[in-house]
Amino acid sequence: MTDLIVVDGVSKRYTTSSGPVDALRDISLSVGAGEFCTLIGPSGCGKSTLLGMLGGLVTADAGRVVVDGRPVDGPDPRRVATVFQDPGLFPWRTTVENVEFGLELQGVAAGRRRKIATDLLGPLGLRDFAAKYPRELSGGMRQRVAIGRALAIDTPIVLMDEPFGALDEQTRVLMGEWLLDIWRRTRKTVVFVTHSLHEALALSTRVVVMTARPGRIKSVLELPMPYPRAMESHELVALRAKLWGDIRDESLRAMGESAP
Amino acid sequence: MDRVTLRVRAVQLLSVAAILLAWEGVARAGWVDPLFVPAPSAVLLAFGRIGRAALAGLGDTLAKTAIAYVLAVVIGVGGGILLGSLGALRRTVNPFVVALYGMPKILVLPWIVLFLGFGALPAVAYATIHGVFPILVLVTGAVRDVDRNLVTVARAFGARRWQLYWKVVLPAIVPTVLAGMRLGIVFCLLGVLVVEMFAGVRGMGHVLGSLANGFQAPELFAATALVSAASIAIVLSLDVLNDRLSHWRGEIR
Amino acid sequence: MSVLAIRVGILAVLLGAWEIVGRTANPLLYVPPSAALPALVRLLTLDSYPDLGAHLWLTLREILIAYALAIAAGLGCGFALGFNRLVGRAYGPILAALYAVPAVVWYPSLMLFFGLDAASKIAFGFLLGFFPITLAVLAGIRQVSPQMLAVARAFGADGFTAFRKVTLPAMLFTLVGGLRTGLALTVIGVIVGEILGSKEGMGSLINHAYGLFRTADYIALVVVTLVLIVGSDALASLVEHRAQRWTE
Repeated sequence: MTDLIVVDGVSKRYTTSSGPVDALRDISLSVGAGEFCTLIGPSGCGKSTLLGMLGGLVTADAGRVVVDGRPVDGPDPRRVATVFQDPGLFPWRTTVENVEFGLELQGVAAGRRRKIATDLLGPLGLRDFAAKYPRELSGGMRQRVAIGRALAIDTPIVLMDEPFGALDEQTRVLMGEWLLDIWRRTRKTVVFVTHSLHEALALSTRVVVMTARPGRIKSVLELPMPYPRAMESHELVALRAKLWGDIRDESLRAMGESAP
Repeated sequence: MDRVTLRVRAVQLLSVAAILLAWEGVARAGWVDPLFVPAPSAVLLAFGRIGRAALAGLGDTLAKTAIAYVLAVVIGVGGGILLGSLGALRRTVNPFVVALYGMPKILVLPWIVLFLGFGALPAVAYATIHGVFPILVLVTGAVRDVDRNLVTVARAFGARRWQLYWKVVLPAIVPTVLAGMRLGIVFCLLGVLVVEMFAGVRGMGHVLGSLANGFQAPELFAATALVSAASIAIVLSLDVLNDRLSHWRGEIR
Repeated sequence: MSVLAIRVGILAVLLGAWEIVGRTANPLLYVPPSAALPALVRLLTLDSYPDLGAHLWLTLREILIAYALAIAAGLGCGFALGFNRLVGRAYGPILAALYAVPAVVWYPSLMLFFGLDAASKIAFGFLLGFFPITLAVLAGIRQVSPQMLAVARAFGADGFTAFRKVTLPAMLFTLVGGLRTGLALTVIGVIVGEILGSKEGMGSLINHAYGLFRTADYIALVVVTLVLIVGSDALASLVEHRAQRWTE
C-alpha cells in the first residue's frame, strides 16, 4: 500500500484571548490509498485542526504535510474534498446546484456538471429532491448533499469532519451504512473524524486515538475484518472495550482541564 | 380565498367606505370648514383640475428620485461590500458612518441649497445622501456576517477571491440588499420631496407646497393622494421583486 | 488604540481641509471652523439671537407634546391591533402601506389645516413618532411566546395578570426600542416642520440665518440643534439600556 497522506512531526499552537493553546504536538501519521482512517478523541484534541491541515485550510507551525507526493500549501480541490460537520450548503442553491458547486468553481461546462451531479443524486437517495432548497430538506438529506458535493469533484481523498455529529442516533447509524456502501464502491481514501465508538468500529480500516490537549497520537487500532461487521461479535465487543478504555482516560483528562 | 381572508377584506373595504362616507357627510353638513377639509367628492373633482400639472410634477419628482436612487444603491452596496470585507477600514470609519446615518440630514439642507442652487441638482444630492446610509449600513452588516461556514466550504473547494464574492458573498447578501433598496427608495423619495418643498421650482413637493400656500385644499388632497399612491405602488413592486429573488429563504422575511 | 488615533487623525484632516477651503473659497458657502467657533460663542452669549432661549423652549415644547401624543396614540393603536386578530389583520396592512409613503407628503396638508404655528409642527412630529411606536407594539406582541402565556394560564393567571406578568415584560425591550425610534423621529418631524415653514423655533432661526447668508450663524444654530437631538437620543438610549438589563 502506498502512503497517499504523510503527516510528519506536525505541531500547531493557537493564540486565544486567554493565552496560547497547544492544539497539536508532534503528530506523525500515514494513510494508505483506499484506507478508511478514523480520528477519534476527546473534544478539543485537535482532530479538526489536523483535518484542516490535510485540506490546506490550516497551516502547521512545524512539521510537514504531504498529500499525493506534494507538500500541502492550500486547498487542492483536484486531490482533496472536504465534508464539514455543518453541511454548509448554500441556501440559495437547490440540491443539484449545491452538488455542482465544486465543478462550477473548476469551470466544468454547465451541461457536463449537471449530468455528473444528477447521476450522483441516485446513490445519494436524493433523486426526487433535485430541485429542493436546503431549508426543505431534513438534516440527514442535507448532509448527504454535502457528501455529494464532495464526491462530485471526484478526488482520490475525502476528508470528513464529524459529518453525522448533528444527526439523531438512528439517522446516524443508517448514514454510516450508506457511507460504507459508497466508500466500498468508489474506493476513495477517507479520513474521518468522529466522537462515536460505533461509527469508528463499524466503518474504519484503522482507528487513531488522540490524546486530550495538546493533541498527540495515543494509540492506533487496525481493523482488518470484513464488512458489514457484526457489531455484537466477541471480537468487536472486546475492541470496543479497549477503545473505550483509551478514550475514557483522555476524556476524563479533558473534562478535568475544562472544569471550573 | 378562505373565510377569514374574506372577512378581513370586508372589514378593510367597509372601514374605508365608512370613513369616506362619514367624511363626506361631515363636510356636506358644514361641520368643518371646506376651506381646510374638503369633501371626498370635491377632492375627486380636483383630480381633474390638477391632473396634467400634477402628473408633470410627479414625473419630475420620480425622475430625480430615480437618479438619486441609482446613485444611493450603487454607492451603498459598493461601499457596504468594501466596508464589510475590510475589517480594519470598517472599524476605523464606523463611528463616522453611524454619526452621519443618525444625524438629521435636514440640518444640512439649507447649506446644500446654498451650494447647489435651485434645481434638480440639490434634490438629487440631498436624496442620495438620504438614501445611501440605510443601504450602506445594512449591506456592511450583511457582508460582515456572511456565514463563515459557507466561506470555508468555498475555500476548501478551491474558490478564488472573485469566485468567493461572485458565488458566495453576493448571493448571500441579496435579501439584505433588497431590504436596503426597499428602505432606500422611501428615503430617496422623501429627500426629493423635502428639497422641492424647501426650495423647489418644479416637482411634486413644489406642487404640494404651493397648493397649501394657495389654500387650495381639494387640489392639495388630490395631489397628496397621487404621490402616496405612486409611492405605495413602487414599494409594493419592490416587495414582489424581493419575494421573487429571495424565494430560497422560504417563509422567513 | 491605533484605530482611535486614525479616527482622530481623519477628523483632524477633515477639519483642516475645511479650514483651508473655508479661508480661500466663497465665504457665503464655506465658513472655516475658526470662524464658526466665534459664531457659536456669539449665539450662546445671546449676542446674535437674543431670544434664542424662547425659540429653543418652543421647539422643546413642541417635541414633548408631539411625543406624548405619539406615545398615547401609538400604544393605544398598537395594543388594539395586536390583541384583536381580525382588527390586526384588517388594519395592519393598511398601516404598513401608509408607512411606505414618505411622511413629508402629509406636511403641506397639516400646514394648511393647522397653520404656520406650533400646531402643525406638533402634528407632523406626532405623525412621524406614531408609526414606529405602533409597529413596535405589534412586533412585541407577536414575539411573546404562546408557551409562556400557556404556563401563566395553567398557573391560574387571568387575562390582565397574564398581560402584566408575561406579555409586558416579554415585549418590553422591543417596546422601548420603538419608543426610542419614535422619539428620534418626533424630534426630526418637529425640526423638519420648522425648517419647511415657521415663524418661531430653532428651525425658523436656521432658516433665517440661511436666508440672510449668515452662514457662520447658521452653522452655530445647527450645532445647538444637534446637541438638542443627540441629547434627547442619549436620554432615550439610557432608558433603553435600563430596560435591557431588566429584561435579561
